[in-house]
Amino acid sequence: MQAFLDSLIRNAGHDPATWPWTQFVYLAAMGAVSFAVINFAAITAGIFSWAERRVAARMQSRVGPNRVGPGGFLQWVADAVKLLLKEDLVPDEADQFLFRIAPYFMMVGFACVFVCLPFSHRLIVADMNVGIFYILAVTALIVVGIIMSGWSSNSKWSLFGAIRSAAQIISYEIPAGMALMIPVMLAGTLSTQGIIRAQGGWPWQWYVFNNPAALVAFLIYFISALAEGNRTPFDLPEAESELVSGYNTEYSGMRFSYFFLVEWGNMWIMSALASTMFFGGWQIPGLSPEHFDALTGGVAVLAEVASLAIFAFKTLIFVFIVMWLRWTLPRIRVDQMMNMCWKYLVPASFAGVLFVGVWMLIVHAAPWIGLVMRLGLTAAGALGVTLFALRTLKNIRDTGDKFDFTSNW
Amino acid sequence: MAEQLAPQRQAPGAFDSYTKPVRDTAKSFWEGMSITLSYMFRKPMTTQYPDRMSVPVSQTIPARYRGFLEVDMDICTACQACERACPIAVINIDIVKGDGKSRPKLNMERFDIDIGKCMYCGLCVEPCPTGAIQHTREFEGATMNFNNLTLRFVPPAAAPWPAYKVPKGSEAFPRRPLGEITRNLMHAWDAPPPPFPTDAEIAELDKKADHGKPKVAGLDPAAMGRQLAAKALEVKADKPKLQKVLEEAMAGTDCGDCGYPDCFGYSDAIAQGKESSTEKCAPGGADSKAMLETILVSLKTGVVPGPAQPDAAKPEAASPAAAEAKPSGPPLAQTLSKEELYKVVLEAMAGTDCGDCEYPDCDGYTKGIVYEGQKDLDRCAPGGEDSRAKLYEIMLGTKPPPK
Ligand code: SF4
Ligand code: SF4
Ligand code: SF4
Repeated sequence: MQAFLDSLIRNAGHDPATWPWTQFVYLAAMGAVSFAVINFAAITAGIFSWAERRVAARMQSRVGPNRVGPGGFLQWVADAVKLLLKEDLVPDEADQFLFRIAPYFMMVGFACVFVCLPFSHRLIVADMNVGIFYILAVTALIVVGIIMSGWSSNSKWSLFGAIRSAAQIISYEIPAGMALMIPVMLAGTLSTQGIIRAQGGWPWQWYVFNNPAALVAFLIYFISALAEGNRTPFDLPEAESELVSGYNTEYSGMRFSYFFLVEWGNMWIMSALASTMFFGGWQIPGLSPEHFDALTGGVAVLAEVASLAIFAFKTLIFVFIVMWLRWTLPRIRVDQMMNMCWKYLVPASFAGVLFVGVWMLIVHAAPWIGLVMRLGLTAAGALGVTLFALRTLKNIRDTGDKFDFTSNW
Repeated sequence: MAEQLAPQRQAPGAFDSYTKPVRDTAKSFWEGMSITLSYMFRKPMTTQYPDRMSVPVSQTIPARYRGFLEVDMDICTACQACERACPIAVINIDIVKGDGKSRPKLNMERFDIDIGKCMYCGLCVEPCPTGAIQHTREFEGATMNFNNLTLRFVPPAAAPWPAYKVPKGSEAFPRRPLGEITRNLMHAWDAPPPPFPTDAEIAELDKKADHGKPKVAGLDPAAMGRQLAAKALEVKADKPKLQKVLEEAMAGTDCGDCGYPDCFGYSDAIAQGKESSTEKCAPGGADSKAMLETILVSLKTGVVPGPAQPDAAKPEAASPAAAEAKPSGPPLAQTLSKEELYKVVLEAMAGTDCGDCEYPDCDGYTKGIVYEGQKDLDRCAPGGEDSRAKLYEIMLGTKPPPK
């Protein structure tokens, strides 16, 4: 970002090192970028809220909100306006100060992640060399916000929800962190852009198909991310049937909408991280990052847009999978959740890290093994997806129905 | 403790039992996710109400659905059976009577059904002799104004609406297609509601209101009763003609509420002397009753009562003692209710319960006279002339004929 601004200043005929306004340009750029990023987060969260309702409805053979705007697309605007206009109630018995600020902690923890999330080849707020660490660290702020809201609400439901959430996030932070270490080891960097650049555009160059441990690591990461984002089947902190609404029970109006903004925005974060770490991010097949860097003029802009589209496409697929999971799986019990984390995910992620260490040595000695493994896993993955698609088609035909995605929206 | 610390032999299948949840998870993901995804790519079962239906919803629901009521005014006999059947007074029918010549005998000024109050029990549909009132399949009662929910089947411009006269012996009635009328009325629901009257306007309306006064267009039952009575006297001996006259006093809806199949049945029974009750014509109400009584009395006495008499006699006749003191005017039998009459008649008996009258006791004879139309007033032997005089006075308003 700074380099980009420097080049702008240089183009304007000043030397950024000596020009007195350099700092102000930086400041203005910071403001503009934060504004853009927070709005991006809010708007995607809003759109996801609509998309999730449509997807949920279709999966339940319903129609879903389709009245506001084309296909109901503006429903989220209507909902947002409604939430903003609603009264912001603070319970009498609540800890007023904490109750009021808790949503902002969540918002901050959530918005900070976007600093390190890449969008395309050049589009990233700050490509830190400790990117992954940073992301893992700032997401912890969310748990602070959740605990605060649960505690300050002075309601049993809220507190239960908050404590469950804390237990869940802290537990799943470990497998998530370990699973993310595997691409970090493979790429040899913590920077998100660096990890993407170390992969390639083709599926067999993605880390997910690099070796069996990486594939498992992706699954572990995805499960843990669901748990950290309080998504079904790990939505225990806000289990409606048990806790009314969990930690946000007492909230209303705008503050309530922050919680939901964070929840839906989190879907983008976990999906973007998955495509960054395991699925080659914005890499365009057949265009190596070095060539990409060297492009100039209109082609560069075109490639930039293509990389942005590729990244968004991959991310949206994961977002869809997250929604899809939510409308497939029932909620698991607290003990099952803990069992799964400590008995399966944690050991598996540690084993994976060890395995990858050894694997890297083997591939270093005999690179063809790595290539065979990558191609084999890619083929297996493609086979799995094909079989799954056939299975889905069979499910449709078995009920005497037909494939029909377009009607009755 | 020692046991636990000792190296344990792995139970056979320990690995299996550890990995089983993983395998189960993978399998259930495979199955479950493919099912939910398959729904994603199917047409939702939901049909979207109301504007994306291929036909209106009301046409898709079963034919016998109990929706809004509909009255086909062209075959409504104004019998008000529906109004009486409704347990919560949802139906309001205002009747204006005519003499049957210059204007039809029964006219409806108003036939309102308050859909906002109706509970769709269907009790009003059952007694309707012609099937004029029916449930439609319409059910969409959303309206901006609650008052608009009242369906007015007599269009104010067309009031009073003549009642349908059932052709004798007909069993099927030409009903308009079900739902058409109510749907038309429902179109008016979107109209702006009538404004609420101001206090001044309400006071004005109150002043104008004809509380208790007979309607100008209405029929004077007393005058008509005398007319009919005169006619009846002329044809006294000719039972079929007498029946015709009597039938004119009835509402003429052939509703069967009187317990006879139609108006002919009831009037014939009276003409034949088999029926003495004048109260059975519910649609005719008080008017029919008054006319029938006038006719019957004149048949008994042979005199058509004068115009002013009934009104003058009524208040005094309310107490039996006063009536006894004042022998003139119509007999008590016409002015008192059956229960009161029963008491008065019982007083006139000797009270010995001797059974000489061929009834088991006085009570029986009294009931016979009051309720069963016993015409012979000479049976109470213990009472002698005294009882006879009283009974003739009470029942017929005359002196007893000499023995
Ligand atoms: S359906 Fe029942 S409640 Fe409604 S008008 Fe008829 S009798 Fe009255
Ligand atoms: S004919 Fe039917 S609709 Fe008309 S008043 Fe009689 S019962 Fe009611
Ligand atoms: S006489 Fe009987 S059938 Fe005729 S209108 Fe009166 S109650 Fe109905």
